Amino acid sequence: MPTNKTISIGDTFLAGLWRENPVFRLLLGMCPTLAVTTAVKPALTMGISVLFVLLCSNIVVSLMRNLLKPHLRILMFTLTIATFVTIADLFLKAFLPEMSATLGPYIPLIIVNCVIICRAEACASKNGLFISIIDAIGMGLGFTIVLCILAAVRELLATGAVFEIPVMWKSFVPWAAMRMPVGAFITLGLMLGLVNLISRKKA
Amino acid sequence: MLKWLKHFIEQSWLLMVSSFIFGLLIAVTYAAWQPRIEANKTDKLNNLMSALISQADRFELTLEDVPVDLGKGKIAKTDIYKAVSDDGGCLGFCFDAQGPGFADKIELVIAVDFRFETIGSYKVLASNETPGFGDRIQNDYYRRQFDGAPAGKLDLSKTGPADKIDDEIIAISGATVSSEAVVKIFNNYIEQIKTALTKEGMIGNADK
Repeated sequence: MPTNKTISIGDTFLAGLWRENPVFRLLLGMCPTLAVTTAVKPALTMGISVLFVLLCSNIVVSLMRNLLKPHLRILMFTLTIATFVTIADLFLKAFLPEMSATLGPYIPLIIVNCVIICRAEACASKNGLFISIIDAIGMGLGFTIVLCILAAVRELLATGAVFEIPVMWKSFVPWAAMRMPVGAFITLGLMLGLVNLISRKKA
Repeated sequence: MLKWLKHFIEQSWLLMVSSFIFGLLIAVTYAAWQPRIEANKTDKLNNLMSALISQADRFELTLEDVPVDLGKGKIAKTDIYKAVSDDGGCLGFCFDAQGPGFADKIELVIAVDFRFETIGSYKVLASNETPGFGDRIQNDYYRRQFDGAPAGKLDLSKTGPADKIDDEIIAISGATVSSEAVVKIFNNYIEQIKTALTKEGMIGNADK
């Protein structure tokens, strides 16, 4: 029989993937969700960058949680997040310059991504290191998977390819609108509806 | 005073220590990766310049940090490169140019012939224009209009024959602001770069 601790760890991890998924359930991080999901590659890069920042900030916030003064809490979170976002941005510029150019301002904008500050506030500042790490991995993976699903649908309909590999028939006419913001809103709306339908059926 | 200082340190020591550590972390990371980032930028610039003047054997930095007045008191600095053929002759000049676009700053690499009479098209170095609309400034349809256009003041029209090469550029339908931004960048840079090169006596001399 599993102990309370193992249930808690499993629950924490799975929460980010489904029950408290940042995009589908909490509707956080909408800016990158809508902006960088034109193709799978940038979406995956964004997801991994958020996962890295989330993991590092959760670790740091959890380690200093007992030292945090209430009025400096948000300032400390922002400082921590900004540091790791800058490192992620420099990494992309150095090792993946084409992707860095594709993502443009959206990597520096991770600083204001509500998912990260929300997890620092709701989890890392109240829990130990291990739970904070599990939470960051769960939430980061949940965010990345959703971004990739959205991007796969949009890329498929906009270009007839997934991961730049053509998968549609030759006469397929690409839907240019799927590359544009309208495509992002429609795809996200339909997916949110689908997730709500599944959740309702489960309940 | 001592009490106030003690209170100040008690309240802010974590912020000060963290700022120092995080600052150090960023500085170390920056120092480690900056040469690679600069090399990537240079590679991209060289690739774009090579695509613009394909006959060039190499590109030599001719003038560095040339000030360009962008209007409204804004001054940008640019480097001018000379395209050199394998026999040492000058084939033309390339320089990076920038200006405000619809969404963000647009950065271009512009090529002109060695007499500075005609433009040899441009490539987009950086842009965050709207996908499907403004980002069409990268497409051949729009870029081709500049290829061979006179290196002087350009005008933007909303309608007209796009295949006619002259000083009239036809805007991209649905992306007038981005089209206008590109033309403005050309108008800002061409004259001022020409003046800078003329001062150095570098225009029109294929052997220089």
